[in-house]
Amino acid sequence: MPAPPKVKSAIACRDLTKRFGRIEALGGLTMTVPRGVTFGLLGPNGAGKTTSIRLWLGLTAPTSGKASILGEPLPPTAVLPRIGYMPQDLAVYLDLTVAENLALFGRLVGMTEDAIERRTGEVLKLVDIADRRDDMASTLSGGMRRRTSLAAALLHDPDLLLLDEPTVGVDPELRAAFWSFFRELTARGRTVVITTHYMEEAAKCDLVALLHQGRLLARDTPANIKASTHSENLDDAFLALVREGKVVA
Amino acid sequence: MSAARRVLAVARKSLSQFRHDRRTLGFVIAMPLLMVIVFGYTFGGQVHDVRTFVINDDVGSGNDHFADQVLANIAGDTLNLVPATDANFARAEISAGRAWAALVFPANFSARLAARNTTTIGVIIDGSSPPIVSAVFGTLRAAVEKTFAGGVRAPLSLDLDYVYGSADTRFIDSFAPGVVALAVLMVTTIFSVIIVVREKSAGTLERLFSTPLRPVELIFGHALALSVIAVLQSTVVLGAALLLFQIQVVGNIALAFSVLLLFAVGNQGLGMMLSAAAKNELQAVQTIPLILFPSILLTGVFFPLEAIPSGLRPLSYAVPLTYAGDALHSIMLRGWGPAEIWLDLVALIVYAFLTLLGAAVLVRRQA
Repeated sequence: MPAPPKVKSAIACRDLTKRFGRIEALGGLTMTVPRGVTFGLLGPNGAGKTTSIRLWLGLTAPTSGKASILGEPLPPTAVLPRIGYMPQDLAVYLDLTVAENLALFGRLVGMTEDAIERRTGEVLKLVDIADRRDDMASTLSGGMRRRTSLAAALLHDPDLLLLDEPTVGVDPELRAAFWSFFRELTARGRTVVITTHYMEEAAKCDLVALLHQGRLLARDTPANIKASTHSENLDDAFLALVREGKVVA
Repeated sequence: MSAARRVLAVARKSLSQFRHDRRTLGFVIAMPLLMVIVFGYTFGGQVHDVRTFVINDDVGSGNDHFADQVLANIAGDTLNLVPATDANFARAEISAGRAWAALVFPANFSARLAARNTTTIGVIIDGSSPPIVSAVFGTLRAAVEKTFAGGVRAPLSLDLDYVYGSADTRFIDSFAPGVVALAVLMVTTIFSVIIVVREKSAGTLERLFSTPLRPVELIFGHALALSVIAVLQSTVVLGAALLLFQIQVVGNIALAFSVLLLFAVGNQGLGMMLSAAAKNELQAVQTIPLILFPSILLTGVFFPLEAIPSGLRPLSYAVPLTYAGDALHSIMLRGWGPAEIWLDLVALIVYAFLTLLGAAVLVRRQA
């Protein structure tokens, strides 16, 4: 069997646009996300971060433009089992136990029962709620529910992780643990895309894309973005870019 | 003063919420209106248009044709009299459910009455519906009394031939099939109408569709789980009717159970359709009376279809409970099998298929 052709980018989109009525949530996004990096999708509320992720998952159809996810055009049905998604809303069944929540999503992506059993132990240890495995999700604190949601996204060891605001409401200690774990994943060739509106957090990414009102302002390493805007930090860089109205494709 | 202001603030907030939810606003006005109209029309309804064959063999006696007089005195539109020549034909038609009764006047009817000898009117009847039986007997009795009013009391008796049921068939026996179906309708609808909208508001619907799960698979998965519950519920409802009230069951109980299940699946489909169309739990819950009211009033569960005003009758055939109730009635009281209730079965299968498909399409639109 010949090896499948290597796809260099995890995500590639061209002129990807989404309108809801007269509102343009995303306007002509052209950008690539290489494999094996931590990629920060950065911007204030309404910048188009969540819309981008929903488009990439095929949860909503683009108004125009194209994208390929792990080499698959939209909707990326064939590669969905290789994607892990943690939505901004918790999306955890409160009337199921933590383990039952994980098992559901494991089965839906085609994992065997043995694999689910084994990986449940591993990922729960990783997000530090192994002792709550058989507790109802309704009895968990907000932060723990978030960890459950992350564990469900990680269960099948996906090639591409799409995490929508994963660190909101997570205490600093655990946040640090999450980040070191994301690094570990990219070291193993996985791609992690994280949306956030915390600029200091985005500075930990290998690459960031700055979005504003559905438009891409910049896509580069945090260091390069700071340098090009003569800014001390990404906050200032973002403000400078918005002022310039500069759009970098 | 400040307390009153706070109360008003809460009231104002609630009214604003209503105002912003257009669909709820519509329900608030349309639902009670619909209920009053449907209730008003159906509750006043008398049984009418009961298809009844007349086999009049009476040759008369001199100038007297008593059978003709009795028939002429049958007043109102309770019975829809259809002339026939053969009692066996009439019996077969009743047996097939195409008519409810037949009145048979013997050749010597007038002659025996004129000679003051006892005579009979033969009544062949489907006794599976006591309201219909009372309507037939009541109308006939009134006509006989009117014919012989003032004269000597006629030595007349009715010769009853029950095609289905018997003089022992109680009202509860005739209600039971419909009530059993109605109970299943209520419980299945309440569960299913919440199930999709709950996923939507919890954000899990989107999470599910980020996996290879397809809308139709989601709907069938839910339907499968709900069916397990429906099996339990059907067992409880049917079991209670049989054990506690010794309901008459002439036909195959397994067939009755299967009809209930099929009906339950259709209800789940309908519930999930409404659930998928609703934006929130409130909107979803409001649709429950929209299903229940027509089901209670228009389907022959509490009154026979013959008691529903002709103008509303077509609506009865748009309500699935009409078919489930009719199938169960026919199985339990008439002993009919699949060959006789095929039309009901087809209607219920179409109902289940269309609603499940509809639910899948509507869920897909959400994504």
